Amino acid sequence: MSNNLQNGGDEAEFAKPLLVPIKRRSFFMYAGATAGATALLLSGCDDDDDDNNMSPGTVSLGSGDVGVLNYAYALEQLEAAFYAQVISNAGFNTAFPDAAERTALTAIAKHEAIHRDFFKAAIPAASVIPALNPNWGTLNFGDRTQVLATAKTFEDLGVAAYNGAGALIQDPTYLLLAGKIVSVEARHAAFIRDLISNGSFADSTTVDANGLDKAMTVAQVLAAAQPFIKETLNGDNVGK
Amino acid sequence: MNLFQIISEIEKVDPEIMDRLTHRRSALSALGDITRKMALAAAPIAIGSAFNKAVGQQTLTNANDILNYALLLEYLEEDFYAQALAAPTLAANLTTGSAARGAIQTIKNHETAHVNLLKAALGTAANPRPASFNFGTAFSTYPTFLTFAQAFEDTGVRAYKGQATNIPRTLNPTVGGNVVNLLTVALQIHSVEARHASHIRYMRRATAAGGTQQFGWITNADGNGAPAAVYGAGNPAATFPAESNVSQGGLTLTSVGGNTYTVAEVSEAFDEGLDNTTVVNIARSVVTF
Repeated sequence: MSNNLQNGGDEAEFAKPLLVPIKRRSFFMYAGATAGATALLLSGCDDDDDDNNMSPGTVSLGSGDVGVLNYAYALEQLEAAFYAQVISNAGFNTAFPDAAERTALTAIAKHEAIHRDFFKAAIPAASVIPALNPNWGTLNFGDRTQVLATAKTFEDLGVAAYNGAGALIQDPTYLLLAGKIVSVEARHAAFIRDLISNGSFADSTTVDANGLDKAMTVAQVLAAAQPFIKETLNGDNVGK
Repeated sequence: MNLFQIISEIEKVDPEIMDRLTHRRSALSALGDITRKMALAAAPIAIGSAFNKAVGQQTLTNANDILNYALLLEYLEEDFYAQALAAPTLAANLTTGSAARGAIQTIKNHETAHVNLLKAALGTAANPRPASFNFGTAFSTYPTFLTFAQAFEDTGVRAYKGQATNIPRTLNPTVGGNVVNLLTVALQIHSVEARHASHIRYMRRATAAGGTQQFGWITNADGNGAPAAVYGAGNPAATFPAESNVSQGGLTLTSVGGNTYTVAEVSEAFDEGLDNTTVVNIARSVVTF
């Protein structure tokens, strides 16, 4: 009955996130093609007038719980964009000749897209960060080893990010939601790791001698994620 | 007696009741008139679930109670894997040096580490290990063992998740000489259990005699041989829905942001928590201790 993530004061505001989220959506499914549109959204942050050489702006994630939600949304955007590119790449069937692996990666792509769309719709429209543009550098999406190594990086990072952010969240509803997502990310992480090397699902590179997974601060996570995102993310006030 | 008198009375027993109700109240105030009437019609459910803590003790409130509850589950899991590694019926599958034995040993070691960590956190308040765990026919065959393992891991994930909101986020005890945040530690265990669950599911898929066609995540509320209750709703169901749930934060995610997704995909994308009473009932349905 209640839309727990909305704090709008009137019915129109309440209904809005259910109706409007189309314009900034699915940007990454056609990675690269939407760069111009997003640059326009960010133009207020950008003093470079040359469209062909536009340096992306800085995106502030905001403060308090909304900051944490935007933080999660930024990471989910990155993951969703990555897997969308993996499964839409022309060489997908060649890079992943095993049909079951393709099925699993396609499922993960859906999960991350659902997480992305959920945060997009749930964060109040006035506070939500814009669509971010990925930066894949020299990553070869036709190379199974490179794809899985990057997937492992993102999944382990996502787990560590949610684990570290839990104690920053004030509203129990959001904490439970984060908990519902982080275990799915951990399932992904273990699965991807097993595809790389069977049995590495929870090895000593991610689980310590006390049997604990990693928990990273916002600053640590953003430092690791930043090279993959064209915009500069500012998370200084997340959870504060 | 009006509603606010009732809440006031509960507050004497349960000081946090307003925290749990406030969110629903602010949500109500954000609704329009017509919606408000519908919401009020559903309000008894919300109030009822808030009562549970004061009356039914559905919610663990004391940090030590939460830790001892986690400790019991870790004792159970540790013993389960220790018995499996020693079971003659599984020796042909868990051969020395095999990937399967290596994985089960890794998981067992993590459960042992969790036991030790929780005992250190509890100190003298730690409950003793039950005298024995009888897992019945769990070790009769390799596929049966893996099915039980999946049930325990998936239940463990749901159990930790279900307690996350009961752990004060500012609780920073000293454990083994280090100051730690208890909620963070619980989350760090929680994601390790999810990694275990994913791998056990991977092992079930790979078993020689026709593996279970599933991946590391939970589709709908499918147990694929594990007890249905592991994937069912808890109490209250509004807080702890079945794993097949497709509604999060008031949004039905089969259609969101202009995209459509299948029920199966949405159910996979979110795991659900469980209350401690339901978890212990599930454990006692398959284990004698």
